[in-house]
Amino acid sequence: MAEEQKKGERKKRRTATEAASSIGPMVKESIGGTIRAKQEGKKLAYSFIVCSYDEIIRAMDVVPVWTENYAGVCGAKRDAERFLERAESLGFSRSLCTYALCGLGFDQWREELGEMPPDAPWGGQARPDMMLSSGQILCDPRNKWYQAAQQYMPDVPIYDVALPYPLYEDDIEVADVADYYIKYIVEELRGLVIFLEKQTGKKMDWDRLSELVDLGEKTWNLIWETYELRRAVPTPMGTGDAMNTMVPMVFMLGTQEGYDFYVGLNKELKEKIARKEGVIQDEKYRLLWGGGLPSWFALTDFNYFNSKGAVFPVETTYRMIEPIYKLNIPETNDPIERLAWRWLGYWTYWYDKAKKRPGSEPDVERLIQYIEDYKIDGVVMHEAFSCRTWHLGLIWQLNQLKKIYKPIPILILGKDEKKKVEKRELPSLILESDIIDISSYSEVDTRNRIDAFIETLESVAKNKGT
Amino acid sequence: MNEQNSDILSKVERYYQEYGLRARELKNEGNKVIAYLCSLVPAEIITAAGLVPFRIRGDVHEPITKGDTNLETIACPFVRSCFDLSVKGRYDFCDGLIIPHACDSMARTYSTWKYSLGLPYSHFINVPHTLRQSSMEFFKAELNTFRKSVGRYAGKDISDDDLAEAIHLYNENRDKAKALYELRKSDPPLITGTELSKILTVGMSLPIAESNELFDVVLEELRQRKESPLQKAPRIMVDGACVDNVDFIKLVEDSGANVVVDTLCIGTRDYWPHTDVRGDPVDALAHRYLDKINCPRTYREKVGDTFQEDAESRFGDIGSLSKEFRVDGVILYIYKYCDPFGFEVPARKAYLDSLKMPVLYLEDEYSAGTIGRLRTRIQAFFEMIG
Repeated sequence: MAEEQKKGERKKRRTATEAASSIGPMVKESIGGTIRAKQEGKKLAYSFIVCSYDEIIRAMDVVPVWTENYAGVCGAKRDAERFLERAESLGFSRSLCTYALCGLGFDQWREELGEMPPDAPWGGQARPDMMLSSGQILCDPRNKWYQAAQQYMPDVPIYDVALPYPLYEDDIEVADVADYYIKYIVEELRGLVIFLEKQTGKKMDWDRLSELVDLGEKTWNLIWETYELRRAVPTPMGTGDAMNTMVPMVFMLGTQEGYDFYVGLNKELKEKIARKEGVIQDEKYRLLWGGGLPSWFALTDFNYFNSKGAVFPVETTYRMIEPIYKLNIPETNDPIERLAWRWLGYWTYWYDKAKKRPGSEPDVERLIQYIEDYKIDGVVMHEAFSCRTWHLGLIWQLNQLKKIYKPIPILILGKDEKKKVEKRELPSLILESDIIDISSYSEVDTRNRIDAFIETLESVAKNKGT
Repeated sequence: MNEQNSDILSKVERYYQEYGLRARELKNEGNKVIAYLCSLVPAEIITAAGLVPFRIRGDVHEPITKGDTNLETIACPFVRSCFDLSVKGRYDFCDGLIIPHACDSMARTYSTWKYSLGLPYSHFINVPHTLRQSSMEFFKAELNTFRKSVGRYAGKDISDDDLAEAIHLYNENRDKAKALYELRKSDPPLITGTELSKILTVGMSLPIAESNELFDVVLEELRQRKESPLQKAPRIMVDGACVDNVDFIKLVEDSGANVVVDTLCIGTRDYWPHTDVRGDPVDALAHRYLDKINCPRTYREKVGDTFQEDAESRFGDIGSLSKEFRVDGVILYIYKYCDPFGFEVPARKAYLDSLKMPVLYLEDEYSAGTIGRLRTRIQAFFEMIG
């Protein structure tokens, strides 16, 4: 355990669930597994999470190397700085995505040395045989990172998978454009299969792919069902733990191990609910993590919230939106088409709801649904300076929410169809730092802001009671 | 547009300083003005709909204030400036807004723009990231969706003939812009970089026919110049994204060099590529905007086995222009928080190194204050390249 004792590393964060505490060793084993797989001659692919190609990679027996995960590990272990500095010395601006900078700094160093950089966290990131970029509608770095890495690894081929989805428009329905979106996504994913067949020298086993898509969808539904258990009061699991339990969701979809993890988590949460055992027993404030990736080096901030009586029963980050059967996926036996429809359904699920509330927008509708379903008292977001993908639009979403959750008494129609007066003010907080660049973070300042936010929640609670 | 030739540069100056003046006049005359961001919006389709396209620009002299109440400061500073000016009402004559999927700072803020401005019409064009045939087919479908949408707003079915006519006008405009670049080939050039930047920027604020007319008169005026307004000096290329304020170009020229060519959005990146006039007009527009506009946001598959071969494929236009305009050095001018360009900086530098072309990389924040602070580094670069 010498690695765990390196300078700058902190003792293990306290989790509410056994499942969350098992994640660290699981990730470590996964990263070590990629290095062993390389030694065994298996084909490795640099990959991005949430790209709808998990089952395809697995079906081809290609071993994914989740580069965002490795950067996150470096950040969580507070050992990203040397890789960030190296990327900066190569000419990359520190204002760019720090996941990518960490990865590029690491890769260039590994290529220069011909071996892993010294004391690489958890043994290092294995050299890939191919890289699977992602030209989505979001995330420029996913489109550029591997291309930039190719400067240091010119022999490693790239396949850039285009995965668009239509943005929400007032005058256009998803159904109006779904045909050509699906056609394109399907062609892109079939192109990926052809690329992988060429790289591996083996043909796709389509029956196996269908089985893995079945397994992926079964896992997806189980995750949704399991996370919905967190509606309980007291909630048995918070966002701090969810930032661990996301690992099998986004790194192991389409694997039995991933599915089994959620079977265990589901069982554990049900048992905790039966025992009325919560993250904290006396919940004063139930908060929504309403946007942004966390600071991986500062997950203990969630414990700090807990120490103030605040819990996060729900988050928008790393969460299956709704079960597969609610995504209006047409019947098809083609596993690629299923993946394409799943992608489109995932991104456009809230569009219909937004249409029903003039001036609203899908991301805002999602927040409203969680606020209502989970009895939320306040919203917390995180603005990571280096990531425009997930951290633009947050202020605007909160401003939209304020139009609905106003700091004044409003008349609403109760479930008994009788009018009643409610005060629905919903305080919000945007924390500012980064995903892995610790130089952007001040624990003292962050916790002062949390303290002030808690005071606001107290004040609002008192006001509601008057 | 009947000014004497001698007045034309004054007119450019006025349109530059009072950017949007003509669009506002047209609005007051009963026209509908459609604002757009970035070079990836096919303005031809807006023109074909009978609407007035107007390219939004930022202002490096205007501190970003109101915009920050709705848009995060981690967005590209150029986009932030454009948004700030828009919510402050500088472009309040616009009836609609088109944003393309150029980068995260545009795509991820579309809703913020849409609801903050509350315009009668808005549309997002989903430009794919790759150049495969499937991407081209998708983009054609997406452009047809835009064609129908903007046509509905304009109350007009946009015919192929309407599109062909608009394409013709825009191609003419590109010919004229290219002719302006010809004036930069002499040493010293007959036109300053600052003048050209203003002309090209103004050109995107006008209906295309008026832009053509303006360029014609400007060309006539400049071709009559007997003497260059410049001294012989190092010939510089500026490589980067959207430079729509002349302050940086002027700083470079005031620091002892002549800017003779660029690969900027309001420059050769957008003004040079033509749209094919044969075949289906939407096919041709898709090809121009997805492939011919060489923007790093579009992924180009690796060519050859080595980095050098790939770099030649991706950045060859920089090398060609540097030869054509006899460039002595390149300034790579990139905005902070620009992921598409930022991830290419080492590759672009390596490519220029391979050409033995001196290069200065500058990261800036789209502000007159920060631009001024670059002077010392620029001067040192010019001393180095002699």
